[in-house]
Amino acid sequence: MATVEFRNLVKRYGSVEVVHGINLSINDGEFLVLVGPSGCGKSTSLRMLAGLEDVTAGEILIGEAEVNEVEPRDRDIAMVFQDYALYPHMSVYDNMAFSLLYRKTPKAEIRERVMETAEILGLTPLLDRRPKQLSGGQRQRVAMGRAIVRKPQVFLFDEPLSNLDAKLRASMRLEIKKLHRSLGVTTVYVTHDQIEAMTLADRVVVMNGGNIDQIGSPEEVYHAPRTLFVAGFIGSPTMNLLPARSNGNSTLSVAGQTLNVASRFTPPDEDRDLVFGIRPEDITLSAEDASGSEIEGLIDVVEALGPDTLVFVNVGEQHLIARVNPDIHPVTGQPVRLNFNIEKSHLFDARSGEALS
Amino acid sequence: MMLRKQIAIHALLILISVVMLTPIYWVVKTSVTGENLFSYPPTIIPRDPNLFYYVEAWYTVSFVRLFSNSLVIATLVVVVNLLLNAMAGYALTKQFRGKALVLSFLLMSMMIPFHATIIPAYLLTAKLGLLDSKLGIALPALSHIVCILLFKSNFEAVPSSLVQAARLDGLSEWQILTRIMMPLSKPAVATNIILSFIWSWNEFLWPLIVVRSPDQQTMPLGLVSFLASFEDTTGSLYAFCVLVVLPSMLVFLLAQKDFIRGLTSGATKG
Repeated sequence: MATVEFRNLVKRYGSVEVVHGINLSINDGEFLVLVGPSGCGKSTSLRMLAGLEDVTAGEILIGEAEVNEVEPRDRDIAMVFQDYALYPHMSVYDNMAFSLLYRKTPKAEIRERVMETAEILGLTPLLDRRPKQLSGGQRQRVAMGRAIVRKPQVFLFDEPLSNLDAKLRASMRLEIKKLHRSLGVTTVYVTHDQIEAMTLADRVVVMNGGNIDQIGSPEEVYHAPRTLFVAGFIGSPTMNLLPARSNGNSTLSVAGQTLNVASRFTPPDEDRDLVFGIRPEDITLSAEDASGSEIEGLIDVVEALGPDTLVFVNVGEQHLIARVNPDIHPVTGQPVRLNFNIEKSHLFDARSGEALS
Repeated sequence: MMLRKQIAIHALLILISVVMLTPIYWVVKTSVTGENLFSYPPTIIPRDPNLFYYVEAWYTVSFVRLFSNSLVIATLVVVVNLLLNAMAGYALTKQFRGKALVLSFLLMSMMIPFHATIIPAYLLTAKLGLLDSKLGIALPALSHIVCILLFKSNFEAVPSSLVQAARLDGLSEWQILTRIMMPLSKPAVATNIILSFIWSWNEFLWPLIVVRSPDQQTMPLGLVSFLASFEDTTGSLYAFCVLVVLPSMLVFLLAQKDFIRGLTSGATKG
């Protein structure tokens, strides 16, 4: 096990810079998830850590040692790829034993380690099979097994679950979590799936356009997003983000209506573009105006999901989503009052995208 | 309607097969009967077939020497071809400065017929002191550009994540080539073996120029000297022809399945 550190890490392809000097420090035994949309630089950062991409500038440290110029095989890391990257011409056993073979591990020890890992992952009956004779989930487990037998200092996962169906993904997520708990190896996990990020991570790193927007626990990035991007990216459905203006007296103009936000924050006095954010679950539908923290709208679409119901409401030209109790049965086309839980709302500067609350 | 179409297609295929196979059949038939082309009445079923002419061919020329010469040269050519072509093909899957230039240079070289370079090739071989030697005969055939390109396209079809996984697993580039790339490119390997073997086995012009002593003669050269030295040897000549062709046919049949996949790889996705 080891710590990992990025110091001003930069990656450039020709004249295009895709990672802009990021700094990140990963604790020993931590499960860190890099999350962000396609092209945000998360996979590139992971591949630089693996040694599969050269570092343009900056430093990568594993433990105390700088590894910029160290060959991938000498970094003592193991990686699980999106497409599993199992050797098709070898059995499951050989796939798992392969790397140990090239590290001059004694045959008996290889056997012991492979059998032990196969037992943990439930692969023992499959050891003689070829990868193409396995299901997607089994292949994924073999890919993990191959990483585990190495007993590396750091595990790297590059979107390992994205080729699996939803049900399998959920169960593999659980397995990865349990595995990390029992092995305690420092893990860096890249995904664009925020549910994976939220459920697996000790800390989440939200990346956007080659920069780190926020580092924090899943709760922090969900409840206290530091930028508009993080607010819009984390959560499903995403946070409602509405253009707003300060009225100067602790009220905001949102979608042509006035909202009293004094209990949560003091909006800036000067006249500038703001964005008011509220999560769907922090909106309730009410019949009458009680607190001054309500606005009026028209119900557009109702989606009953079972445990809760999503209500899509048009407020002027803005569209909002509310997540409400399934016992409430809103009717499409009806006018409705949206009651905001101001305590949990957010305010952002529209230009810089930074949180003001 | 479907049946008629099927019958028509099969009839056509049978006709083509007959046209292709008749000469081969004729050679084999003559080699066991000795009847020449003008014997009357002509027969299709061989009359009184026997292996006499094979025995005669075996003893009239030093068949074992010709055969072993050809075999040693062809084996050398196949092994070195596999090695060089795979290495070159793997290198060409990488990005490096001047790659396009190297590729176009290779393609251009393919356009030049061997006969046009035969004099410089001869002079070069002479300078190396390899005239009249097995290595000298093999030299121009030690790499084939077609096979380099075949390896390149096969290697490119191997997912890059496999190469990266191998790199993380601790394999060197050489080990990635031999342990991952080659086993996953069996069609290319089979195609390379067949083509380089057949080309080397059948090569006539270059050995004719390079070889001086009978000791170094290959099978095709042996066939010519056989023709020149003996008269009225229809049966033995045909028997000798069969023996010349047989090894390349065997090699082809052994690796045929992978060979066809090799030639069509890259034609379709997956």
